[in-house]
Amino acid sequence: MTQWDDSQAKAVSEDITEKSNALPARYFTDDDVFEMEKDKVFGQYWVYAGHANCIKESGQYFTRTIGDRQLIVVRGHDGEVKAFDNVCAHRGSKMVEDTPMTDPGDAKRIKCPYHLWTYDLDGELKSTPKSFEEAGLNPDLEDEDVQKFDAEENALNDVHVDTIGPLIFVNLSEDPMPLAEQAGVMKDRLEALPLGEYEHATRIVSEVECNWKVFASNYSECDHCQANHQDWIKGISLNESELEVNDYHWVLHYTHAEDVEDEMRIHDEHEAQFHYFWPNFTVNMYGTADGYGTYIIDPIDTNRFQLIADYYFRDSELSEEEREFVRTSRQLQEEDFELVERQWEGLRTGALAQAQLGPNEHTVHRFHQLAQEAYDS
Amino acid sequence: MSTQDQAPYVASCPECDVDLQTDAPNEIIEFHRRHYRVTGHEAEFEYAQLDLDEDVTSDGLKDVVWQLQEQYENGVPIGVVAAVMSDRGLSIGETLDEIHEVRMTGGLYEPQDDHLGAF
Repeated sequence: MTQWDDSQAKAVSEDITEKSNALPARYFTDDDVFEMEKDKVFGQYWVYAGHANCIKESGQYFTRTIGDRQLIVVRGHDGEVKAFDNVCAHRGSKMVEDTPMTDPGDAKRIKCPYHLWTYDLDGELKSTPKSFEEAGLNPDLEDEDVQKFDAEENALNDVHVDTIGPLIFVNLSEDPMPLAEQAGVMKDRLEALPLGEYEHATRIVSEVECNWKVFASNYSECDHCQANHQDWIKGISLNESELEVNDYHWVLHYTHAEDVEDEMRIHDEHEAQFHYFWPNFTVNMYGTADGYGTYIIDPIDTNRFQLIADYYFRDSELSEEEREFVRTSRQLQEEDFELVERQWEGLRTGALAQAQLGPNEHTVHRFHQLAQEAYDS
Repeated sequence: MSTQDQAPYVASCPECDVDLQTDAPNEIIEFHRRHYRVTGHEAEFEYAQLDLDEDVTSDGLKDVVWQLQEQYENGVPIGVVAAVMSDRGLSIGETLDEIHEVRMTGGLYEPQDDHLGAF
């Protein structure tokens, strides 16, 4: 039953049969929860960082901010992708400027502008200026007594990196579960597709006035589609579609009402597949385009998030047909923004302490369960 | 994104279908920074309804801050400065760069984050 009072709110129900408790509303609206999520959600699980095709050459890098941490994601001399905190081991200075994946930087080494400590692409300290080798200004110390900085001990702080095809993920925790465990069958499915053969074509970034989990919940179900995506729904047979739930991801399989030509899509199935990967990443395999897309649902604060939408096609230059496709995708986003912002206006009034979920919102239920598990951990 | 009526400050990215409408001028600066961080694109003012006690007659950045600071207790919001400089042909990015340069000479300071005072 719907709970209008905080005292009646319960944890997310274990299943979605008799009880269908959603995540209590306070977890969406409390600023303390947002701070907790930096640690218990974004600090614990594998989070999408960016696309390997954007840093194909050694030394190419981009930055990615997750919670309060900013990382440098760089292609090393050995061809492997690595990630480090964008923080110098000397006195904690931020080193490189904000650099988006869409406009990567290029560096033979990573140099801190403060005192010019310089690291190689493995993160090891390679050189320090003379002022760290001689003690001319310190009367209590002879030059020969100056410590030599160990390259490994004074290396940059690296974070765990793993990939699914060309998709790069990072994990900020010390001892994470393997990415393969978190991704489950999604890893095999995506790696069976030639995702790496497709190039980044365009990025659209939007700021939306609602909590990130509201949009994530909306993305995960299609009961709202009939009423709110009327152009898109015309091409979809919802009754033949399926929402599949796995441990840390769920897949929305949409069957097209009329078959579309095989060459118009990257995957073989006669359907579109929308993968949601906990906590804030989606991979969108469209039924009507030879390409794919990704969303990053990045929180800004309790009340806002950025939707970072990337589109990948055979060629990085958009054809007219692809441009029209992106426009249609954008229309869907705009329609969803209207919905989630309206929901957010209602939620933040505090009137509803806990929502209830319908039987076809079992994907949303899983998302809420994962959030509850993370908060309670 | 918002469906509200025209807000006092509106900025958008010329390359993306994204904008920000806000009552708080410094939100425009934060928006510019966030958007630049993930795209490398610079957001620009589309509209700024400056609610000032008197017109700003100065052209130079430091003089603009000097003139405006009488109207603010603890520094001029950097978004207001950017809006005024936008009228003088400077983009938000160019204004932020120039603020940095003048601050490095000691001509401007920040009595609080993202608020400017002039010497």
